[in-house]
Amino acid sequence: MQNYDLIVVGAGILGLATAYQARKAGAKVVVLDKGATAYEASSRATGYLSLRGETPEESPLAQMAEKLWDGLDEELGYPTEWTQRGRIWAAVNERELAELKELYQSFEKTDIAFEFVDGQALRKMIPSLTDSCLGGIHTPRSGHANPQRTSQAFAWAFTDLGGEIREYTPVLEVLATGGRVKGVKTPYGEIHAPRVALCAAAHNTLLLAPFGILFPLAPVRLEALVTTPMPPLFDQCFIGNGLSVRQTKRGNLHMNGGPYEWIDLEIDKESPKPTTPIVRNILRRAIETIPLLKGAQFLRSWAGIVDMAPDQMTTIHLFDNPEGLLTVAASGHGFGMAPAVGVAMADLALKGATSLPIEHLSLNRFRHITSDWREKRRWHAGQYNT
Amino acid sequence: MSPRTVVVLGASGVGCRFALAANAAGHRVTLVDEHPQALKDMSIDAPYFYGAGLPAALNNANAIAQSFLEANPELMECLESGIDVRLSTILWGAFRNGENSIHIGTPKAGLVSREGNELLDHDVLVIASGVRDFVPSFLGWELPGVFGAKAGLALLDYYGVFEGERVLILGTSDIALRLMRSLRSKQITVAGVVEPGSSIAAGPEAAAWIEGEGIPVHFGKVIASAKGKVAVEGARLVTLDGTGSEEIACDSIAVAVATLPNVELPAAMGCGMRFSTELASWVPEVSIQGETSVDDVFYLAPKADEAMIEAMLARISGAARAEWQPSSLTLADASSYIQQWIKSLHQTGGPDVIMCQCESVTRGEFCHLEPPKYLGQGMRTSQTPTNQTDNPHAPRLDQDLVKRMTRVGMGHCQGKRCRDEAAFTLVQRFGIDAEDIRPGSYRFPLRPVDLSLIADDDETDDIRLNWQMWPYETRNA
Repeated sequence: MQNYDLIVVGAGILGLATAYQARKAGAKVVVLDKGATAYEASSRATGYLSLRGETPEESPLAQMAEKLWDGLDEELGYPTEWTQRGRIWAAVNERELAELKELYQSFEKTDIAFEFVDGQALRKMIPSLTDSCLGGIHTPRSGHANPQRTSQAFAWAFTDLGGEIREYTPVLEVLATGGRVKGVKTPYGEIHAPRVALCAAAHNTLLLAPFGILFPLAPVRLEALVTTPMPPLFDQCFIGNGLSVRQTKRGNLHMNGGPYEWIDLEIDKESPKPTTPIVRNILRRAIETIPLLKGAQFLRSWAGIVDMAPDQMTTIHLFDNPEGLLTVAASGHGFGMAPAVGVAMADLALKGATSLPIEHLSLNRFRHITSDWREKRRWHAGQYNT
Repeated sequence: MSPRTVVVLGASGVGCRFALAANAAGHRVTLVDEHPQALKDMSIDAPYFYGAGLPAALNNANAIAQSFLEANPELMECLESGIDVRLSTILWGAFRNGENSIHIGTPKAGLVSREGNELLDHDVLVIASGVRDFVPSFLGWELPGVFGAKAGLALLDYYGVFEGERVLILGTSDIALRLMRSLRSKQITVAGVVEPGSSIAAGPEAAAWIEGEGIPVHFGKVIASAKGKVAVEGARLVTLDGTGSEEIACDSIAVAVATLPNVELPAAMGCGMRFSTELASWVPEVSIQGETSVDDVFYLAPKADEAMIEAMLARISGAARAEWQPSSLTLADASSYIQQWIKSLHQTGGPDVIMCQCESVTRGEFCHLEPPKYLGQGMRTSQTPTNQTDNPHAPRLDQDLVKRMTRVGMGHCQGKRCRDEAAFTLVQRFGIDAEDIRPGSYRFPLRPVDLSLIADDDETDDIRLNWQMWPYETRNA
């Protein structure tokens, strides 16, 4: 039995950002993970900070994150490859253009800077873009970074401050007594702390279930790939033709998109993350979008597991009962949000409240959701591309 | 027995013998091999380390294909017996239903050649992927004229285009002996043999042969550098304590320290793996019938004998699964020989030698987990990659972390050149056992593939029209 002020469950970017901020505020913190650091959703992330024009409830927190991203390398002391050159969401056919015009209306509910531009203007920003591009939404203050470097930067910044990360140490159960959290149980014994932050994606659902709490998250397997390095083509975050594509500082094109495979997780086991021949279709779309990629080579593919809430938004919640328990999951938006999520979660854990704009992100919005929501949504394990 | 569709990867001797036996037993067999490779693929140094000095004669694809077939009578037999033989074809990935991926349908082998790509449906996959060169770093190892023993043997025996005239051999194991015998049979001069130890690793018989051939042996030494402006003109050898050195005139340097099994396919497919000290590599765990932990996926080790081929074929033809019992092969201890070379090279060559050619990362930068130079940023505090954990079965170090931070293994060759030296370097530097490392993940494609060749050109409407656009199509569901 060991004592801490805060136990963080999950060594992904959200858990590490939470742990870093809590440690920086002086708390004694340990991070536990069933596997290695940043091996699940954090390893599959495209690496975008989106200002969340498409989900206005998340936008205020995303804008807080944007301010923090700006000084993050210096704050953490390790390079993240942060590149703030905006995001382009392009339509390459009439169908996508119609969808984007609809989406544009939700951007208007936020106070982020954005503009709707035509195809010619987009090709000016990205000269290699296909001639069939009709227009799109440009968000100048978005940016991207290297997901693996960023997670590791948080991890190292946290341990530099004396924080502790224990990998391959699954949390089997959250322990509570008399309406208060008291710690967690692992296969190697109990670890005690008056506060437990669950930052373990869809494992949160499994760990909260014994308390009668439904955190509706559905795990899904998604694929990503990179090409060989290319000369500089563009440095914005690009979305279009069913893909997200960014060019890394090294020159590789890093992209993902395509079918979802809904799965189940086990609490103490690293999930297999197989890839499939769908990479051929991703690459076909890449060539359609940026024709000169015909000259690149397909280098590496991998898959990751992302947790999806029914409205595909971030959830941050501090529970009254048991007291001391809090949780976060971000439906695939966690990478960009992480710097702000870390501050909000550390505030909630240590002070019980935060000034960050999270009022629309609590679990309360799901109070009418029933336990068969995944089946109703056709998001239950085994479903493909639903 | 009902005939089954069997894909055999690897037309080495053992792969061909298995294919012939399976074909004779009535199965439908497709035999796939990446050789003879396109020049562009050879330059990736996988599976064989050709280095930068590929002979121009390799451009003549027809002549090369012809001499490749003539040098492989068992492969000719496969062709004549009606086996579907796919040469110059890369198996870039293999896919079957399993945990978290249940929509593949019939198992599929992803094949790609100059003509394009196809997904080949099959029942059984037999991996007979052979071995590759292990080539540790030294100063000048990127010069044309430095190559691995398997590459040298391929140029000498398969393609007949070897251009060297004076070859220095690094290493004295079996593969070094095979290479020297082939060189001598073609009257090519062996300028010398370098051995950090004090005896010939391949044994006394080999030592006697080397002596009989009059080949000078340099015991207690390693290579300090390959010399030459545009290609190898010589080599500087150094004693292990760094006090003595000598120069050897040569136009080629053959690295013949060891060969390692090609395991990227079983590893990427998720077959259970174990570290084999004898083979100095993670290898698939197989039963005495050669079956891996993945159903209907078999691994035929490079040294598999006829009994193994028979047992495997019987299992594929319907024999009951044998009680799980790992097969055992007793071989020389390649790990300690490889480790001796790496230790001697690092001790004499220091930290500034490039270890990862694709990304230009030195040994020192690798060990300190330094970010790549193109980022122009350092680290606040130096870091070590070892894990903290309470779990007694956990790996003590993840090679993927080191790979992601330093980019060693992330470049064009995907670690084919450097990943083993990288792993053993971590072993030596952090004082842990090789089996306590979680090796760097292998990923598809197994070789870099041109986008224009692999992009799906006959996409179904189902995939086309139902493609998910994250996030908002599903939001509206």
